[in-house]
Amino acid sequence: MNRIYSLLLIVLPVLIFIFFGKVLLTDESELVSYYEPKPIPQFQLLDLQDQQISPSAFNNISLLNVWASWCITCLVEHPFLTQLSKNDIDLIGLNYKDSKASAQQWLQKRGNPYQFSIFDPRGDLAFELGVTGAPETFLIANQQIIGHVQGELNQEKWESIFLPLIRGIQNKDQ
Amino acid sequence: MTASALIYLFLFSMSNGLNAEAVYMFDDASEEKRFYSLISEIRCPKCTSGSIASSDVPVSRDLKQRVYELIKSGSSNEEIKDYVKQRFGESSDYKPAFDGLNYILWFGPFIFLGLLMAIFYSKRRL
Repeated sequence: MNRIYSLLLIVLPVLIFIFFGKVLLTDESELVSYYEPKPIPQFQLLDLQDQQISPSAFNNISLLNVWASWCITCLVEHPFLTQLSKNDIDLIGLNYKDSKASAQQWLQKRGNPYQFSIFDPRGDLAFELGVTGAPETFLIANQQIIGHVQGELNQEKWESIFLPLIRGIQNKDQ
Repeated sequence: MTASALIYLFLFSMSNGLNAEAVYMFDDASEEKRFYSLISEIRCPKCTSGSIASSDVPVSRDLKQRVYELIKSGSSNEEIKDYVKQRFGESSDYKPAFDGLNYILWFGPFIFLGLLMAIFYSKRRL
């Protein structure tokens, strides 16, 4: 009987260790980084300057960043986006569930890193893209969405998720 | 007694106001049943775990509204699930996988109970 007890004392903690170890060591950010490429959904929307925008606006390699004036994390990633916009990548905004006035005010106050921002007050285009909240960023090349980052885009995610994808595209084109 | 009843009544009325939910109108009971079973099978994309039925984050509200509209326009359950999967990924179909390490989750409690009972009975005999 005692033997069974001592065996249990060893086996049970080991099982618990294996289980929680597996759960804790699984890197969730790696799980979401794979993105099945898909075409940009059809849409016809105005930008914040009342210009008509359609999928044909995405010519080069572009980043589509979902933002809103009510979004705190968007403030956090704003300096990084400003820095990115100085590279030769098209940075396009998707203003999400916001009002035009507060969106324009926000850009005026913080600076506008976007070439233009699509105005999506009801979140229709965002829904088609599978946006779950702001901020989120999509990488678009050749009219295809090839990458997706949820939450703040920063140097680390840029280098680990988007840069390899961009290099892959550029190598294919050459 | 009366005072506590009043307080409960007050809190109850408050909670009703705060949790005001969208009202979905259905033509018949089977449509309604389909709606509620569908939203319990679609994963809330913003939550660690849970269906859109149990979540009130904006994206879940949008998803429920869309499921409702699709049911109204005559889409089948499969079409609705595919519609959601195309936008929010394969993992939005919310069925806990019955494989691999998940067996521990499914059967762990029963194994544990069995072990405890075995220990309990063997101790009594001593």
